[in-house]
Amino acid sequence: MSKVIAALDNSLAARPVVAAATALAQLLGAEVEALHVGENGNGVAANAAAAAGLELSTCGGPAVARLVEAGSSEDVVAMVVGSRGMPGRARPVGATALEVLAALPKPLLVVQPETTPRPLRRLLVPLEGTLPTSAAPEAILEVADGFELDVVVLHVHDEASIPLFNDQRQHETREWAREFVARYCPWGVADVQLETRVGRRDEEILRAADEFDADLIALGWAQELAPGRAPVVRAVLERGHVPVLLVPVSTDAAMATSVPKEESWSSWPSLRV
Amino acid sequence: MTGLAVPIEQALPVALERRFEAVVFDWDGTAVPDRRSDATRLRELVEELCGRGLELAVITGTHVGNVDGQLGARPDGPGRLHLCVNRGSEVFRADTNGVRLIERREATAAENTALDSAAEATVAALAARGLEAEIVSERLNRRKIDLIPEPEWLDPPKAKIGELLAAVESRLQAAGLDGLQEAVVLAQQTARAAGLAEARVTSDAKHVEIGLTDKADAARWVFADLRRRGIGAGLVLIGGDEFGPLGGLPGSDSLLLVPEAERATAVSVGAEPTGVPADVIALGGGPDAFVEILEDQLERRRRGDVPEVDADPDWTVTVEGLDPQLARVHESWLTLADGRIGVRATPALPHPGSDHAIFVAGDYAGQGPETTLRSFDTWPDLPGELPVDPLLRRRLDLRSGLLREDLALPDGPLAVLQFASLGRPGTLGLRARGPSSLLPGGRLDRFAVYGGEQSEHEAQLAAAEDTGFERIFSEHREAWARRWAEADIVIEGDPDLQRAVRFTLFHLMASVADEGEAAVGARGLSGPAYRGHVFWDSDVFVLPFLAATHPAAARAMLEYRVRRLPAAIETARGLGRRGSRFPWESAAEGVDVTPPAARDRAGRLVRIRTGELEEHIVADVAWAASCYLDWSGDDSFAAGPGRELIVETARYWASRIRVDRDGDGHIYGVIGPDEYHEPVDDNAFTNVMARWNLRRAARLGGVEPDERATWLRLADCLVDGYDAETGIYEQFAGFFDLEPLRIADLAPRRPISADLLLGPERVDGAQVVKQADVLMLHHLVPDEVVPGSLKPNIQFYEPRTAHGSSLSPAIHAALFARAGLLPEAVAALHLAARIDLDDLTGTTAGGLHLATMGGVWQALAFGFAGVRPRGDALEVDPRLPQEWQALELKLSFRGSPLRLRIEHDGVTVDADPWIPIDIRGRRKGVPK
Repeated sequence: MSKVIAALDNSLAARPVVAAATALAQLLGAEVEALHVGENGNGVAANAAAAAGLELSTCGGPAVARLVEAGSSEDVVAMVVGSRGMPGRARPVGATALEVLAALPKPLLVVQPETTPRPLRRLLVPLEGTLPTSAAPEAILEVADGFELDVVVLHVHDEASIPLFNDQRQHETREWAREFVARYCPWGVADVQLETRVGRRDEEILRAADEFDADLIALGWAQELAPGRAPVVRAVLERGHVPVLLVPVSTDAAMATSVPKEESWSSWPSLRV
Repeated sequence: MTGLAVPIEQALPVALERRFEAVVFDWDGTAVPDRRSDATRLRELVEELCGRGLELAVITGTHVGNVDGQLGARPDGPGRLHLCVNRGSEVFRADTNGVRLIERREATAAENTALDSAAEATVAALAARGLEAEIVSERLNRRKIDLIPEPEWLDPPKAKIGELLAAVESRLQAAGLDGLQEAVVLAQQTARAAGLAEARVTSDAKHVEIGLTDKADAARWVFADLRRRGIGAGLVLIGGDEFGPLGGLPGSDSLLLVPEAERATAVSVGAEPTGVPADVIALGGGPDAFVEILEDQLERRRRGDVPEVDADPDWTVTVEGLDPQLARVHESWLTLADGRIGVRATPALPHPGSDHAIFVAGDYAGQGPETTLRSFDTWPDLPGELPVDPLLRRRLDLRSGLLREDLALPDGPLAVLQFASLGRPGTLGLRARGPSSLLPGGRLDRFAVYGGEQSEHEAQLAAAEDTGFERIFSEHREAWARRWAEADIVIEGDPDLQRAVRFTLFHLMASVADEGEAAVGARGLSGPAYRGHVFWDSDVFVLPFLAATHPAAARAMLEYRVRRLPAAIETARGLGRRGSRFPWESAAEGVDVTPPAARDRAGRLVRIRTGELEEHIVADVAWAASCYLDWSGDDSFAAGPGRELIVETARYWASRIRVDRDGDGHIYGVIGPDEYHEPVDDNAFTNVMARWNLRRAARLGGVEPDERATWLRLADCLVDGYDAETGIYEQFAGFFDLEPLRIADLAPRRPISADLLLGPERVDGAQVVKQADVLMLHHLVPDEVVPGSLKPNIQFYEPRTAHGSSLSPAIHAALFARAGLLPEAVAALHLAARIDLDDLTGTTAGGLHLATMGGVWQALAFGFAGVRPRGDALEVDPRLPQEWQALELKLSFRGSPLRLRIEHDGVTVDADPWIPIDIRGRRKGVPK
């Protein structure tokens, strides 16, 4: 049977991690394995596992290497980790979690310490309008057959992706949305609700998560955490209140964006006056 | 590079193993061994091949009696037999009515005298060198000089060409001439000296002939004729036996390889002792081999081979494979339509990502804003499904409106050809060949009919099936060729733009019927977007192209408005006004079907007020009627429904204008083309269009004097926002007081949807414009704006324009061109021409942007060519970009088809009958 690993430490997030792992495992038809890397696994981590009726596996050694090693096992379909910090404050993802994020070739669910356990019913899927990111939710949607999931797809037009043209709003938005769903939501889910917003992507994603009462945000990302990269992922992890499922996506795939590249047409001329 | 002759016992070369649409061939030595041989089998082949749609043309130096006497074919079509005889001077058509002359080059008396002089001078020059030669015949337009008038060489057979050449050369060398080539040069010199600057001098080894025409002229005629039938050179087989050089001279059949024959397949069945030119297949085998080629062609037609399309890159759009992301965009690109119906080009085998649909023009379902162009999905209805990642090629031939699809399947290849018959609008045709697991018997011919009543369907379908595939296919192809002859545009020096422009012209022509009424929705018949609703796109953007190229279609578009005039009058009455109030969005009934609300891209529910306030549509309809009248001079329309449209719209404005205490007329509370600001008062575009409408109506006969006086008074008092000091029109009352933003300086790029970038409220309070508004006046009604005001208004408004409407780039291309800003004009035109090809809106999947396409034509015609009807004359004031060598347009003005060619050093106009034309202010031509 496939497994979801709940990576527990002795932080406030341990219990929410177990709860989220349990919900995710249900969705994926998997079982939960609680794992603690370190020698002091008898504290919060053990209690959290025990409370959920799980046996806590512990192992020593470098935490990142052990977690990546465990998560890379063929039968593991996802891993769940907690973010640090206290409820009500910004929650920078810890150094260990960040390294795992960057190295684990599997979906990783990041759970906030204040997360209330709840089943996963409504997914918020932010899509940039690129093929790789549109593949991200497949990890869940392909195996969640039989669950009645509400999928809310969010596309945020930021400054770079504001459409060139917006002819007659009463028709254009509908038509554009129809094609966006056809291109970027090929998951076999009957009812995808597409929402569009204009603004900063991180802010609009967090706002939409609240607005639609999402149980989980699924984000595709390229696992690049160099300075200046993945600003949306960082912001959503730090400021969000909803578990965030980060799904590694290939950066090799063609980046067919919803906004045409300018090179494909002559850019607008500067008027000689 | 030369080819080598191969024995005919082998299978035909691969290049010949395909269905050709025309065979052009030499007679002696190619089709028949000599003029006495029995041509019965050839006659049978020719007649059956023509009956199955193949075009055949004989090109020979001999006269028609010789060829027809031997062949005697009387084909019944649809393919035709042409006898191009007398070395390019005559063309006859042979059919069941006999043989009739259809083209002859007639030498003038002076030319005949010059031919005689040249021949005599040549004989004299040869005699001076001690060589006896004789003028043996005076054929039509040529003189034939026998270089070897000796009994043993009186009538040498083709097979002895080598020995003949040796004997002639020996004779010439004895006279101190280098050989045959020098004899020809001598004849060319005497011809020039006799005043024949373009004499055709040829030799068959025995003779030197001086003439006015040769086989190349015949070949050019044939290829031009085939183009008129919609057959590109790539579908033509040229057969001959003398392509290789003879005595240092090009072989006589090499004259068939004219530039117009590029991409044709050429095959030699001759001995070709010195080889053949590159790209000619050296088959050998003589006339027997040629007959075998024809038999192979016949077999291909008997078994139902699928016609190919000519892969001319200037005339085709090719899609390889199936890109799941772009599948629906490609379906729109490759749409086949005939004005009455349109079918999206999904692959013949179904796949889940397709958006398959057939639309019937004007066939709406639903009520109010939900009114939608109905779609059907019962074509082509082949069994099976498309494999994943298929080896698939689809090629749309714009020249002939044919879509060819080739698909590799495990059981064998599937080839499908489809068309929406332009000859029989409403009829879809298909031929397929493929694995018998898919198609019973491995082949399929199918027709379907859509639109109209059930009984009409059945009759039309039965007629198509009786007529058969080949004939309907031929007439469809020819119908498209006729349309292109009326409307093609050639841009020399910009091949990418050329292709994109042909793509736009094709879809414009395909989208509009030319009889009855034509409801032309925003995306034509290529997709469901905009629900098929009819906007000003139809009247102002699409119609001018048709008015100037195919007036019957423009008339049908106007008929759509004429039939909805009662509804427009009723709407005006309901608003407490007079005249006719046409709707912003129109469908079946002619009442407004604009949705009253929608979600915008920011997720907000917004009120849509265009249906209520975008009233310039009223004047736009009148402008369309006037545009049609200006181009066509259609008197009956002018006296009847056209007059009614212009009068009733003028009455609307007369009841809409409010005159203040100062005597100024105003139109309050409207939306102009710049839909970022709503509602506004005294929108310059609306007011000036209304003023134009009133004045246009006042010029009509039969208007009551009081009413005319009222119209003229209102037109004169209507404010237009013009500031004489700056030369700038204020877009609407208060525009100059808005936040003075220049979107050109603010936006990361343009075009851009500024309402999304800045938010609708900010845009509403700023000088940010969606698309040409004031400037649209300079485009549509240049005589209604102050002369010289284009430049200051471009300089003011263009940097403030976001171009957030797909209508904007093409119109700005036209405006830039008129203002002499040619680099800007070319850049804007490129963008406009690629809106669908690059899917710049992200909505091409829902259909093609027909208005943009019409705008592209207008940019070329009105902008770059500077063409405008002015009274009974056509005005031409061109602006040719430096990088273009020429711009050529086909137009129709007052019933005269004309070709307008603009080059840097001049303008050429061909018109028949002639029409008055003002080129850069100078009158050319004579009245009809």
